[in-house]
Amino acid sequence: MEIQVTSLLSDHLISSLIAVPFLGIAAILLGRGQAWARWSALATSLVTLGFAIALWSGFDSTVSGMQFVERADWMPTFNIQYAVGVDGISVVLVLLTTLLAPLCVLASWTSIESKVKAFMSLVLLVEGAMIVVFTAMDLFLFFMLWEVTMIPMYFMIILWGGPERIRAGIKFVIYSLTGSLLLLVGILGLYLQAGQTFDLQEIIATGVSSDAQTWIFAALFLGFAIKLPMIPFHSWLPDAHSEAPTAGSVILAGVLLKMGGYGFLRICLPALPEGSDTFAPVILWLSVAGILYGGCLALAQADLKKLVAYSSISHMGFVTLGIFAFNAEGIQGAVMQMFAHGVSTGAMFLAIGLLYDRTHSRMISDYGGLHKSMPRFVVLLSVFSIASFGLPGTANFVGEFLVLVGTSDTSMLKVLLAMGGIVLAAAYMLWMLQRVALGSPSTPAGGMLPDLGAREILTLAPLAIIVFTVGLYPAVLTETLELTVNGLVEQTMAMIDPVGPPTD
Amino acid sequence: MSPFLLIPVLPLLAALVLALGGRRLGERSHRIGIPAVAGSFGLSIAALAEVAGNGPVSIPLYRLLEVGGLLVDVDLYIDQLTVLLLPLVTGVSFVVHVYSSRYMTGDPRYRRFFAVMALFTFAMAMLVMSNNLLVTYMCWEIMGICSYLLISHWAERPAAGRAATKAFLVNAVADVGLGFGVVLTFATYGTLDIQEILARASSMDGQTLALLGFEIERNTVIALCLLSGAIGKSAQVPMHVWLPFAMEAPTPVSALIHAATMVNAGPFLLVRMSPLLLLAPPAMVVIAVVGAVTALYGALVSLTQSDIKKLLAYSTISQIGFMVFACGVGAFAAAVFHLLAHGFLKGFLFLSTGDALVATGSHAHGSGSVRGERLRPLAVGALLLACVPPFVFFSGPYERIWSTPQIPSAGIAFWAIGLATVFLTALYAFRGVVSLFGSSVGGSLSVRPRLPSVAHVPGLAVAAVLLTALLAGVWSLFSEFLGPALASGPPADVPSGLTLRLAAPLAVAVAGWGFAYYRHLNPVSVPLPRREWAKTAYVLLLNKLYFDEIHQSVAVQPTLRFSRWLLHELDLRLIDRTVHGIATLVRYCAGWLARTAETVLIERPVHAVATLARLWAGWLERTAETGLIERAPHVAASGFVRTSGWLWRIIDRRGTDEALQRVGRLADDTGETLQRIGPRTLRHHLVIIVCWLALGIGLTYWLII
Repeated sequence: MEIQVTSLLSDHLISSLIAVPFLGIAAILLGRGQAWARWSALATSLVTLGFAIALWSGFDSTVSGMQFVERADWMPTFNIQYAVGVDGISVVLVLLTTLLAPLCVLASWTSIESKVKAFMSLVLLVEGAMIVVFTAMDLFLFFMLWEVTMIPMYFMIILWGGPERIRAGIKFVIYSLTGSLLLLVGILGLYLQAGQTFDLQEIIATGVSSDAQTWIFAALFLGFAIKLPMIPFHSWLPDAHSEAPTAGSVILAGVLLKMGGYGFLRICLPALPEGSDTFAPVILWLSVAGILYGGCLALAQADLKKLVAYSSISHMGFVTLGIFAFNAEGIQGAVMQMFAHGVSTGAMFLAIGLLYDRTHSRMISDYGGLHKSMPRFVVLLSVFSIASFGLPGTANFVGEFLVLVGTSDTSMLKVLLAMGGIVLAAAYMLWMLQRVALGSPSTPAGGMLPDLGAREILTLAPLAIIVFTVGLYPAVLTETLELTVNGLVEQTMAMIDPVGPPTD
Repeated sequence: MSPFLLIPVLPLLAALVLALGGRRLGERSHRIGIPAVAGSFGLSIAALAEVAGNGPVSIPLYRLLEVGGLLVDVDLYIDQLTVLLLPLVTGVSFVVHVYSSRYMTGDPRYRRFFAVMALFTFAMAMLVMSNNLLVTYMCWEIMGICSYLLISHWAERPAAGRAATKAFLVNAVADVGLGFGVVLTFATYGTLDIQEILARASSMDGQTLALLGFEIERNTVIALCLLSGAIGKSAQVPMHVWLPFAMEAPTPVSALIHAATMVNAGPFLLVRMSPLLLLAPPAMVVIAVVGAVTALYGALVSLTQSDIKKLLAYSTISQIGFMVFACGVGAFAAAVFHLLAHGFLKGFLFLSTGDALVATGSHAHGSGSVRGERLRPLAVGALLLACVPPFVFFSGPYERIWSTPQIPSAGIAFWAIGLATVFLTALYAFRGVVSLFGSSVGGSLSVRPRLPSVAHVPGLAVAAVLLTALLAGVWSLFSEFLGPALASGPPADVPSGLTLRLAAPLAVAVAGWGFAYYRHLNPVSVPLPRREWAKTAYVLLLNKLYFDEIHQSVAVQPTLRFSRWLLHELDLRLIDRTVHGIATLVRYCAGWLARTAETVLIERPVHAVATLARLWAGWLERTAETGLIERAPHVAASGFVRTSGWLWRIIDRRGTDEALQRVGRLADDTGETLQRIGPRTLRHHLVIIVCWLALGIGLTYWLII
């Protein structure tokens, strides 16, 4: 019996991983009381994390291709399958998703006071949906759960958000839906081109004609670019991030944005190599522009959450810069950057959430001199700030450095400009620290804020440990990624004209 | 595993223990820091002996990165250059640790202070031992953040926060160059292993890089990138502005980081990469010019400063400028020699400043003087420090490296700038040493011995002086020892004995010292010069040539203004307005649909049909009535009339009309919501979502089937 359970779990590890959050939602809804909702959400997310770690440790990094594959017919009429599996990139992102979920639950422990059951269910729903997005091998499944992630986010923003929540929520939904429609058009284009199948591997094997690649790529690009977000499709992000409750901001910045980058890696590069190649120069310049633009705008913010939100635009620029460098360094760097940004920006939002819980203000000018009243908080905030601008020794540095090395293949000018973004990042983060943590309090109340409690430290400390571990020993992730990324690069480069990488 | 591994590891462990150790450590924190650094110092001396006997040692540690073609191994490489710097780093760090354990007593952030100091010692030790450019860069940045944390140690002072941010940001700008250099080095050589790069440097001679339409030699660009890093970290003109502000840090920090060790990282890096620099003559010229300008600038400004720590900061800037200048002319061995002498002496000076500051509670020093016995060793020390720079000239005819024979004026300029720098160096080396003890205590030495640590001062003085003397004595041994690490070695035609090459600069140095001594013994009561041009020059120098103001108005303010402009004009106005414009358009279309299209295209035809049917029915009724058939058709006709009327009333008026109007209104509402994105009810939003989803599903259906 025990053996059967074990083999059932190992054969259906991904399905179990997906099932846990949904079972958790059922448990929350069946039980009673706020405490039950909190504890069961925490337990569920921790079990999910356990499964994800099992997946990561069970993942064989010496074999390329998809692993833990499960397939079942879903809608045979349209060739739609329930097909899930993971490669290195998926594993890293699943790990990131499941890592942030328990912290989101912890961060909402006391700050969410109304409709706790609903909130915790939404957190788990979005977690479950994102795990499916990161493991789906069937494009219809991918698209459906992609859509599902949007709905909990929308409700989180408009029900528990800040003062401008309705406006932010509508903006978020309209942008997301526009992106989704274009994504749907792209996916249907692939479906028709590949002979009526949604199976991604079949689509890649069949190939898409060169003419079709351009417009399908354009549709998918817009879908992913809105999610990522790249400029000029970013204007939903600062509103949504700053108005969402802490957990919502963490999920948005930590994981949801990564779906865009993941989409490029999973669909665009292998299935549409020529399209990717055609659009690469534009995307690279947009990325560089995004890095500098996001950095400049972050410098001009007076609102802590908006500052971090604009910094996300800047950091996600590195992701696309790395992906469209079409080499192993760039793509591994992009995935590392996604992971690192998820951890450090998620942590920034968590930290700002802790401040907001105390004062209900997000304005930088309301703070000052926190080093005296909240020394532990200042230490952690400083750690994540310096991680955010990519100080060597943190995970972000590894990501950014690899992306820059990848970019140096094509253009040293872009490397130089992108490094300007790092300076801007240092500028807005340190300036923020100077105004928030150093000096003397701007209000009398600011000097009497209570320091972090045990639960709050528990929320932030794991992320600090991860930031440094990955930064000083990146092999924990690069080993997982190596073969997958090498395979992806070979696959893509083989299909792009043998002229070589694009130059500007 | 070699025991030398412990040189960086011991301070790192100390830093970790202190950082995670909790409040319990408190005032006992130094008991962890001091032994760790002392151990490192002992091992550094052992390493010196080992390398002197058996040559370079290499200690592989672990593989940091392996991605594609990029391999980064964290290796420690201990060669002659490293072992000379290690005792400086760990030794000064040890002394500063001991000193701080008293100096910082009672500080609320005592533990944090020692943790960061230990971390800094680790980073600097790793930097000098690193054999990989990426690891060098990482340590470089970690040192930067340690400096940031220590400058902002007394965080309640607003100036400390500003100074810390300024220091890090100025360095961040400069480090773009260094980081770019690292990436470019990898792109050029395919490796970041320093020894391998240096070995292959000559093979890349002539390879060019296209940047912004220019074709530049890659080695030159790399050398300039390294220089850019050095300009930031070692406070060279025009990136020197952070160092005087960094004096907001507690004085032991100024001694360790901002005088003796971290600021020397620039010359160290240039010396480490010297074989590559020698292949890039244009870069060498730039390095020499930057160094010379900084040396002169720092010297002149330090003559006008009245804040003792600022004075020492500018003198540090100037001294390091001289080291960079030495690197630029190819006198790498002399640069290291000067680096060591200056490092020890300046560290000592700062610690003495700390005592004085505690004793008087003020940074400013007057122009009074004290001629005590204490002055003598210090004056000798100043003389020795002043005599170190001439070794640059003594050690070889370096100007040939970069001044082509076609431009003989370059050689003259070299001598002119060099001698002026030597003179001024002697002048403020003396001033820096003497003014501290001569005046900062306001004319009474009896105020000073209030701290227990003052007992260290004479010992330190003797140690520094002896060490400097020792260094001067062993110059020939020194250059021979360092030779292998520089790859270029000392130039072939080193003159022996007291030639003009040594005599002239030495004479100038002694003259400078003598002038300073004379001025010291006969102070002018009013420091302001009398002539007009001299006044102008004095004001200019007093304001440090307005570098801070220029930075502020050329770089900082425009960036902030541009960012705000971007936010308001581009992000909020253009992009958000475009989105709103689309929403307005949708709303307008919906309104038009509701008003026009609905009436003209749908309502009117239906209306017409219904009217027609009624007319026809009426006609039928009338005809049937007047006609042949009386009853049955009449009934049928009137039924028809009624049906038509009902149709008219119910379907047209109430049903279709209202339904259509409702659709129109709904569309109108949607548009309105879109435009204002304002709150209505939750239901409205759901309706929008459902509409979109329905549209999506419809599209799916239509495309698939």
